[in-house]
Amino acid sequence: MEILDYDIVILGSGIAGLTAAIHASNATDKKAKIAIVTKLHAMRSHSVAAEGGISGVLYPEVTNDSLDLHAYDTIKGSDYLADQDAVELLVKNAPKEVEFFDHIGVSWNRNEKAQIEQRAFGGMSIPRTAFAADKTGFFMMRALYDEVVNLENVSIFHENFAYSLLLDENHFVGLSVMDLATGSLRIFHAKAGIIATGGASRMYDFTTTSHSSTGDGQALVYKAGLPLKDMEFVQFHPTALVPNGILITEAARGEGGYLTNSKGERFMALYAKKQMELAPRDIVSRAIITEIRAGRGLREELSGLEYIHLDLRHLGKNVIDEKLPMIREIAQKSLNIDPVEEPLPVRPAAHFTMGGIHTDLYGRVMADEDKTIVDGLWAIGECGCVSVHGSNRLGSNSLSQCAVWGRIAGNEIADYLKKTADAPKLRKEIVNAESLKISAILDKKGSVNPYFIKSELQKTMGEFVYVYRTKNDLFNAKRRISELKKMFNDIYLADKGKLFNTNLRDVLEIDNLLDLAEAVTLCALNRNESRGAHAIAEYPNRDDTNWLKHSIVYKTKEGVGIGYKPVTITRWKPQPRIY
Amino acid sequence: MKESLIALSTVYAPMVGVPALLFVYVLSLVFGLGVLGSVSFILVMIGLLVFGVSGLRDVYFHKNNPRAVKIGREFIEVKPKQEEKASDKNKRAVTFRVMRFHPETQTLKEQDYEIETNRFSTVLDGLLNIKAANDPTLAVRYSCRMGICGSCGMVINGRPSLACEKNVWNSAKNGSIEISPMLGHPLLKDLVTDFDDFFERHILTNPYLFRTDLSEKYNPTKEYPQTKEQLNKFLPFSYCIMCGLCVDACPVINTNPSFVGPQALSQVYRYYADSRDEAGKNRLEHVDLLNGVWDCEFSGSCSEVCPKGVDPAFAIQLLKMEVIKDDFTAIK
Repeated sequence: MEILDYDIVILGSGIAGLTAAIHASNATDKKAKIAIVTKLHAMRSHSVAAEGGISGVLYPEVTNDSLDLHAYDTIKGSDYLADQDAVELLVKNAPKEVEFFDHIGVSWNRNEKAQIEQRAFGGMSIPRTAFAADKTGFFMMRALYDEVVNLENVSIFHENFAYSLLLDENHFVGLSVMDLATGSLRIFHAKAGIIATGGASRMYDFTTTSHSSTGDGQALVYKAGLPLKDMEFVQFHPTALVPNGILITEAARGEGGYLTNSKGERFMALYAKKQMELAPRDIVSRAIITEIRAGRGLREELSGLEYIHLDLRHLGKNVIDEKLPMIREIAQKSLNIDPVEEPLPVRPAAHFTMGGIHTDLYGRVMADEDKTIVDGLWAIGECGCVSVHGSNRLGSNSLSQCAVWGRIAGNEIADYLKKTADAPKLRKEIVNAESLKISAILDKKGSVNPYFIKSELQKTMGEFVYVYRTKNDLFNAKRRISELKKMFNDIYLADKGKLFNTNLRDVLEIDNLLDLAEAVTLCALNRNESRGAHAIAEYPNRDDTNWLKHSIVYKTKEGVGIGYKPVTITRWKPQPRIY
Repeated sequence: MKESLIALSTVYAPMVGVPALLFVYVLSLVFGLGVLGSVSFILVMIGLLVFGVSGLRDVYFHKNNPRAVKIGREFIEVKPKQEEKASDKNKRAVTFRVMRFHPETQTLKEQDYEIETNRFSTVLDGLLNIKAANDPTLAVRYSCRMGICGSCGMVINGRPSLACEKNVWNSAKNGSIEISPMLGHPLLKDLVTDFDDFFERHILTNPYLFRTDLSEKYNPTKEYPQTKEQLNKFLPFSYCIMCGLCVDACPVINTNPSFVGPQALSQVYRYYADSRDEAGKNRLEHVDLLNGVWDCEFSGSCSEVCPKGVDPAFAIQLLKMEVIKDDFTAIK
């Protein structure tokens, strides 16, 4: 087993990971030796699929906007579960990050004054979402990648899959990694680590996310005994294309698109009189499912999926081509539907993991509810939970989150390195144990096809842990997941080869998804209220008296434990949420 | 299936006259017709000589014979199975004929898989079904399944394509579909190819926004202004998803590996044309080389296969013109 020594190892190459690499490099005067480890090619991380834009108050004097208003919108959108100190940090730094991406080459759409154009987004009371057509994440990723490859102190390890997080007490030691191309194993032994692996929406069958969004970083932390936070809050994006789940950006509604039911009515008038289609995502998703349950949906015969219409025809070809070209291209290529001429079939799909690795305000990973910090370990972007989105994220806040905490973690880690002489020693018995883990999986002598487990898990989550939940459904999901976990011990790998063994990679991902799906389900079962993205029939209302707190979930020898942490409230007291 | 190409599109072989005309057009715009008119006339002749040759060259895929697969330097036509598959309205059995690369033996072997598909199935869906149900050993690179991550480049029916963008029913001929790895890249396993060289070429051209105000760049205080017109100059070339299809299709790079190649050159133009970039003419020096822009023979196959309408062939000709313009300005 090869052992590589670095100052910083960054797991994940999305917007958060690459941003952190740039700032950590700058903050150490390009002296820190940094490794970026990614299971994909670095420029192909799921951040490329972000479409609509990035939030930030850029021209307050022109738009009558303010940081406080952005913070208020975000907190109200979060159904008051967001930590308000984190939200204030987000809105304060977001404008600077939009400018940073301008400075590294993102092709922002511009207005007549050569300024960055901003569009309306759900739950935002003023247009404050900067965008580059409907490929914002893609342009940000390309700019970041091009910036990072020119840093001589940063090495990128493409297609390296991390399978263990190594800790010594509450101290980060390194990562065990498998190189997909050769099958060889290596340990990245580093003074500090950043986990930036994104979300876990692939635990669902109908999802907007890439096949790679399997929550690997969250699972690594969870398996190592560290806590996750607020896992019950999974965002369902209202408008995913039926039947393939590809995201149709919220910007389609931001630019003026309508949602209509089978009778052609703009039904959002019933659910959010003022904001209509631009209500926050949890509200729009529930509205769509309510319409479908009331028999006002349409049905796609082949998949049996019910849907409603997203109508963009009145926007006209010019607006669609200038501001929404990719969704037009996708609808044409995948469904042979041109949104200029026909409405699009859409329904809610798993989109974003609001929960994640439990961190403090600065993205440092926590070892318990509120006291102990893991030395030398950060978790940023979607995989971390600061928590800035609470129980429901507003569209376009995720890209600002990745950029803001990418910079924070990069700078923090530079300070940390100044104070830290050496990484904790890598003990020999750990190296030996890690070197046997992969062959143990390859040698499994069972009979179950792991892909069967994956598809069963995805179906279970889609059926029982979706937009509306009931205790009974959640119990069913819990039982089914524990059956699948047992079944997983009895799997068989057809591919025993060393070189580019994607069968093995898939099995490691399925293992991760099983653990995370269990955490989501147990947290959902535990929360006896409806808040943000978590809507449960038995407790239809928000309960601030008992449940204005984060769920903290962790693995113990006896099973899964759940604890709590109070929400940080600074200036905005919880109020009824009306749009 | 409707195609949407955003940039001015170049076309495979019969393109001969157009680049020459483009030369005249732009040069006369820049310098005015006059003495230079005759210079541009000579350039037309040179253009015809240089680019004309490329019209006769075989490119990677045959436009008129999609079943022809390039093995080594030869095109071999693969005969489809004769029997028609039973089909109903919603489901259809399709044979995926996959050219698999076996890394242990370093050989390519064809393997057939018959799978059920529906009218929405993409080639990537089909391959993932094979992997889940028939043969988990099949190696495929994929991620976003929406044509933006650039992972799933492969050769489908003889044409470099993204597997997630190819509808099976539209692509299948006589109930079967031919799939092979991109042979213009080193092979790793089955349909997975090695991108190290490809990334290296990209990196060597310094593809990043060059600025001298470093403290503003990393600790911004306000945006760099850019007009819509300035934006549109480089926008089409910034759509590159680094999928490698253009390199696979390029007849030059496949015979002369020292050529910088269409992807990297198109990105040089992308940054050169960006009003925020301060590298200026330095970017031209990097490409004014025999293995730079001057190796491009304008077969246009890169632009033909680009799934995002980047049009690298056009970008390279624009770079050539910038280089010439720069030389003329120096003489003036």
